[in-house]
Amino acid sequence: MRDVEMMTGNTAAAWAARLADVDYIPAYPITPQTEIIETLAKWINEGVMKAKLVQLESEHSMLTAAGTASLAGARVFTSTSSQGLLYGFEMLYNIAGWRAPMVLVNVSRAVAAPITLEPDHNDVLSARDSGFMQFHAERCQDVLDLVLMAYRVSEDRRVMLPSIVNMDGFYLSFTREPVGLLDKEEVAEFLPPYSHPQAFKARRHVVKGPAVIGGHLYTFFKHNIHESITRAAQVFDEAAEKFQSITGRKLEAVEGFLLDDAEYVLVITNSFTTTAKRAVVKLREKGVPAGLAKVVMLRPFPAKIIVEKLKNRKAVAVFDQNISQGFGGIIYSETAAALYHVKNRPETLLSVVGGLGGKFTTLEEFEYVFSLLANPDKVGAGKPLFLFRKDELRDVERAMKLAGVEGEM
Amino acid sequence: MNLKSIYPPHGIRIYWGPMLRIRFHGRGGQGVKTSSRILGRAAFLAGFLAQDSPIYGAERRGAPVVAFTRISDSVILERGFIFNPHIVVVMDESLIGDWLARPLEGLLRGGVALINTAQAGAPLEVSDSHVVVRLNITDEALKIIGRPVISAPAAASAAKITGLIRKKQVLEATVEELTELGLAEETVEKNLRLVSEVYDMTPHHSIKINEEPSRSLEVVDLRSDRVVFSDILEVGNAYLRKTGNWRVFTPVVDYGRCTGCMVCYVYCPDSAVKLDPDKKPVIDYENCKGCLICVLECPMRAITFVREAKAYA
Repeated sequence: MRDVEMMTGNTAAAWAARLADVDYIPAYPITPQTEIIETLAKWINEGVMKAKLVQLESEHSMLTAAGTASLAGARVFTSTSSQGLLYGFEMLYNIAGWRAPMVLVNVSRAVAAPITLEPDHNDVLSARDSGFMQFHAERCQDVLDLVLMAYRVSEDRRVMLPSIVNMDGFYLSFTREPVGLLDKEEVAEFLPPYSHPQAFKARRHVVKGPAVIGGHLYTFFKHNIHESITRAAQVFDEAAEKFQSITGRKLEAVEGFLLDDAEYVLVITNSFTTTAKRAVVKLREKGVPAGLAKVVMLRPFPAKIIVEKLKNRKAVAVFDQNISQGFGGIIYSETAAALYHVKNRPETLLSVVGGLGGKFTTLEEFEYVFSLLANPDKVGAGKPLFLFRKDELRDVERAMKLAGVEGEM
Repeated sequence: MNLKSIYPPHGIRIYWGPMLRIRFHGRGGQGVKTSSRILGRAAFLAGFLAQDSPIYGAERRGAPVVAFTRISDSVILERGFIFNPHIVVVMDESLIGDWLARPLEGLLRGGVALINTAQAGAPLEVSDSHVVVRLNITDEALKIIGRPVISAPAAASAAKITGLIRKKQVLEATVEELTELGLAEETVEKNLRLVSEVYDMTPHHSIKINEEPSRSLEVVDLRSDRVVFSDILEVGNAYLRKTGNWRVFTPVVDYGRCTGCMVCYVYCPDSAVKLDPDKKPVIDYENCKGCLICVLECPMRAITFVREAKAYA
């Protein structure tokens, strides 16, 4: 094995679990995530990895097994996508409530219906309020790094909450690029062994997730989760510093790109960030002061950092690869809320919805978004702008015709 | 009273008038919720605006249950728990000593505590703080219906104490509520007799309360600066919760007839029958709920029962 190897996002996720020396992997297959558990199963079979992998009968059971094993003191890894995440959904709140610091990789895939295999972030953002931390990857390298980071932050005694690491299906999951690995000593230095202060033990009984009728007990514990996950932002920074000292790779909750003197800024997450960066570079070459802020940590929401990065800009666009039906982009609304109390906030905050169902977003579309920022009068305030090309609409029309749907579009 | 004055066509003339708040305390299975509903409907039939609702946790027979009725001649701008009732109806007197139920808590000065009790005592006792009305509703129910079901008569008694609701309206509400529950006509008829009896038995008393209760508020910061697990480490402490404080009947073993066959030991749903060294049953009265399954199952008819009439503090 080389220090740096060509690997898919899925392989990078599997490598992270292997490096983290996880004990238990409850699994259930779903495209585009399956390659992760296949890879882990292969390694366990070959004897190069010591872990127990069990295929459950559903994602609901899978997540239940994951959370409870974590409470028994096992370091737990699991992964799913889309419908699978939603099928196991109620357990997400339970796992967070139990304070089980497991790590779940979600390989984003848009949610049916209509059904597709390609990514957007409605699946992972549905888990936004559950108490899981969320770290979103742009590159395959991020997948590996963020999973290791997630274990360290989750298992920190000041946090004790689960994490989701998100990568886009296809754009990362099946895309190979060079990924740097850590050796055993480096991982050991970064990630101490896991233990739970109140783990299930045969000789010491403990009840997790008890009934609390009345509301005040419920509120108290919910607040404690909020307080802990908020504190996790600082724990993330500490872990990132350590990670950088070992690997040389810098991880940030919000990563700025050509931001210093930027007047027009795009806020974005996940793999389309790469294309958007190219648009920024191109505009810079033409002398346009463009910049980009990539949100890596979605929960806890890094409002303070986002404000720091966006204040005093002329115009900002938020690219949401998700849609809250009846409102618009989810990250747009969170960004707007963060900026509300800031005096020198940007005058224009444009909401852009694109990439739903993995719809390819071209370089030109990102350039177009920046051109709107330079001429904000053309933009309807507060209304989400759907990026959709004419050639795509023609294709929709063709498909409708094939489907036997009458009438003009 | 004219409902149009409360809900005018253009919805602008809403005023917030005085309101009576009644809180019912009883045990799961006693008909606490039904009682609050009969009172609510009776008030509604009398032309008032009414609101009734229950609160319960784990649903089990014998667990403390609370229900509420609000009666007003104007829009009711409240919901949920009644902290400061004008009337508390204690359908099971053993609840008075229960540290979780605390049925008399928050009763307004001058308010009425209506207590269903088999104890002797003055039917109407006025003190500086509040008024105690004592009625033996359970024995009335045993006499007329043959079972200790008291939802309708408890509502009837409370209705009379409000001074706002006539017997006719309680009877009508009883028919509607009990029929909705699917009770047989004959049972409903018996309930009507019981309602009539208990309404008449209830002493007249007019409540004079002008105090509008307000609760003091102190808001705290929930920050704890550490992870707090919602775990229970002291497990297996359910035995501390004695479930035997609620009983209408107490089973009594006649050891002369008992053969030690252990049938009662097997059938007791609450494991409240223990065995002595001779395999004879010893009833754990701290936890026996008086379901009388043992009485029914004993092949030797060696278990009888007596009416429980517990004193309360």
